Parts: sequence; structure tokens; C-alpha cells
Amino acid sequence: MEGRPTDDGELFARAQRGDTAAYEEIVQRYQQVAFRTAYVITGSAADAEDAAQDGFVKAYRALASFRPGAEPRPWLLRIVANEARNRVRSAGRRHHLELRLADVSRPGGAAPSPEAAAVAADDRRRLLRLVNALSDEDRLVIASRYFLELSGEETAAALGIPEGTVKSRLSRALARLRTSVEGVAGG
Amino acid sequence: MAELDALEHDLRELGAGLAWPATPYLRTAIRPRIVVRRPWFESRWAMAAAVAIVALAALLAYSPSRDAIANWLNLHLRLQQVPVLPSPSSLPPGPLGERLGLGDRSTVPGARAAVTWKLLLPSSLGEPDEIYVQRPPSGPPEGEVTLVYGIRPGIPTSGETGVAVLITEARGRVNSEFFGKITGPGTTIEEVSVSGHPGYWIAGTPHVFFFIDSGGNVRNETLRLATNTLLIDEGGVIVRIEGDLTKEQAFQVAQSL
Repeated sequence: MEGRPTDDGELFARAQRGDTAAYEEIVQRYQQVAFRTAYVITGSAADAEDAAQDGFVKAYRALASFRPGAEPRPWLLRIVANEARNRVRSAGRRHHLELRLADVSRPGGAAPSPEAAAVAADDRRRLLRLVNALSDEDRLVIASRYFLELSGEETAAALGIPEGTVKSRLSRALARLRTSVEGVAGG
Repeated sequence: MAELDALEHDLRELGAGLAWPATPYLRTAIRPRIVVRRPWFESRWAMAAAVAIVALAALLAYSPSRDAIANWLNLHLRLQQVPVLPSPSSLPPGPLGERLGLGDRSTVPGARAAVTWKLLLPSSLGEPDEIYVQRPPSGPPEGEVTLVYGIRPGIPTSGETGVAVLITEARGRVNSEFFGKITGPGTTIEEVSVSGHPGYWIAGTPHVFFFIDSGGNVRNETLRLATNTLLIDEGGVIVRIEGDLTKEQAFQVAQSL
């Protein structure tokens, strides 16, 4: 079994018995999604790093409350996102999240013509501008679902709302975004 | 709907091409913060959990909800490793706050300054006789305040503590799912509303109380007087009123907050 990645359940069981190396492995696996989730909440990389770090330390101390067999991502994201929200609350304001497009073209797919690539890049830039212009609440639910690709349960954990509320909040945010997309296209 | 789906598709495409700040290497950053770990059975919460096990074990023997409780216990198997089972009735002698594990002695202004919510004081009981503040890590993330009321007309005092009413406040929310699982013979739980705030009236002799703190973690706490308890969610602050009170008396206290 050399080289086979240990499954989450086993890592959590070991971490619950006090195995810090197993917990570090958990952190390694989830640090990216945790950090990015904290980033979309705080709008600041420095705050997101602090929130993710504190969240992982708190989660370690709360390992006893993690149910064996449960999904680790929502459980960890709830704790990290809560830390991130606390930071925003104690600072009294959040940084304005300004998502940007990567400069490099994405790999995969047939190479488009230079004109087609330029049009696609323009479309993406325009859509991103509209997303950045949404309210914090709308941007957060859209970023969680489509940019971080969180599940409904994970989005609920990240936003600190019931899972049932995610769907309606997302649908309202999409409707508003669609209106602005149509407004830009029509105008 | 087709348009919405196209938009969702575009958003996914957009997400794949975003520039994120570099993810910090948290694995090494957290290492010094997790290596020194207090043996878990020394923590106050684990002790409270141990008390929960005592209560749950007793309920297992009698309760019709045996399966539900057994299920709960399986999910929290670690808690069964407690080497010593403390009893809530054998409190060591000493100053009240210390004996009941309430935290540091404080004053009304001190407690107000120590917590992030607007401290609620019931006017019907007059000034509290003692006030304690429990700060993290012993307490919940945003702290916990306990108001202690000694002799009050019409309310019996606890023989062990000389306390009539204990009021505890902390940020968090109550999860009714846990209640169903601690209902045993002699304890009844009723969903109530006090001045528009949702709550629970727990009559009988409950010993444990579960809530979700502002950090999103499930907390187990000992109900120190092991008497009737009224829990109210005052807009994100859980107020717990313990005492040998009738339901009417408890409501009167809650309504005067």
C-alpha cells in the first residue's frame, strides 16, 4: 500500500487520537480551499491567511466534535469561514474583494484563433467586472458556488447560513447578475 | 432557465481562469500551535462531556429513545474514554465561582466591557450578588458571563450552593436536535417563546446542556444547579436561566431582561 493516499476518515481518526502529523496532512489537503474561502469573505490575503491558520488550530482543538464518517470539508470550512467573518466583524469593515483574471491562457482545448481568444478574454473580463460590482452577499454566494466550486453544504458552511437558504440566495444573486449582463449587452 | 444555465457555465469558466493569491503553507505555520496539547481529559469541556455521559448512560437504561442515544454515543465514541466520572453534586468547597467553575469574578461594568454583546440583566431579580466572566479558551470564543443570585423571595435556594438563580449568557445558538437525545424520564422539554424570542423550558433535573458556540463548535456544559432551566435565544445570545423556579417565575425573569 506504499504511496496510497490515506483516506480522510483514517486521518481524522488518527488526529483525534492526538496524532499531529495526521492533522498536518489534513491541513495540507484542505489549506487551499480554506484559504480561498477565507479570502472571498475577508477580501484580504493577509486576513485570509490569519483566519485559515486560526481556523485550523481551532478545528484541531475541536476534533472531538467531528463525527466519524462525516464530510470533513464542510466541517473545516465552517470553522475557517467563521474565523474570517469574525475578522471582518471586529475590523468593522471588509476589504473590497477584487477578483482578477490570471494572465496565462488556460491549458486544454483546441487553440482558438487570436481573434476568438481576444473575444473570449473580453467576455470573461466583462463578466468578472459585473461580478465584482455585485453586493458582498451576492458576490460571496456566486464565488463560493462557481469559483470555489463548493457544494451546497459547503457553501452553507462558508456563508454561515442554513443549506436551504443557499439555493434561494444563489438564485437571487444569479438573477441580479443576469440582469446586469443583459443590461450591458443591450446597452 | 437556459440562459441561467449558460450564465452558470460562463461563471464556472471564469472561476477556472481567476488569479488567486498564493495559498500560504499553513501546515508548518500551525505546527507550533498544535504540538503542545493539554491531555483532553483535563479540559473543562471534556469534564462537562463526562457529566453528559453519566446523564446519557442513565437515560440509556430507562429511556424509550435508547436507540437515538446509542446512536449519539457511537458518534461521539471518544467521550467514553473519560477515566474519572465527576458528579455535578460533589462540588469542592471554596469561593462560589471557583467551585462552580464560572471563571473570573467581575462586576457589571467589567462584564459589559469583557463581552461583545449587550449584557442582559433581569430587573425582576435586582442586582446580581456575584458576576463571573469565563474567557476563552476555557469559555466559548466570545466569552461567557454568569450572574449569580443568592436568596430571592419566593425562590428556594440550592442546598449545596446557597444560590437561587444562575443566569449564563454566551454567544451561540441552541440546537434542538441535541435536546431530543437527552430527554429522559423526569425531564421534559418544551419549545417556548419569550417576548418573541425562541426558547426551551426544560423541567426536571437536566445535568447537561448543548449549544453551538460562535465558533461553530458544539459545546457541552454542566447545568450547575440541576434544576429547571429556561433557555432563550436573544438574537444570537443564549441566555440560560437555572433555578428551582416554576415556569411562570422563569418567564417573569426572562421577560424582565
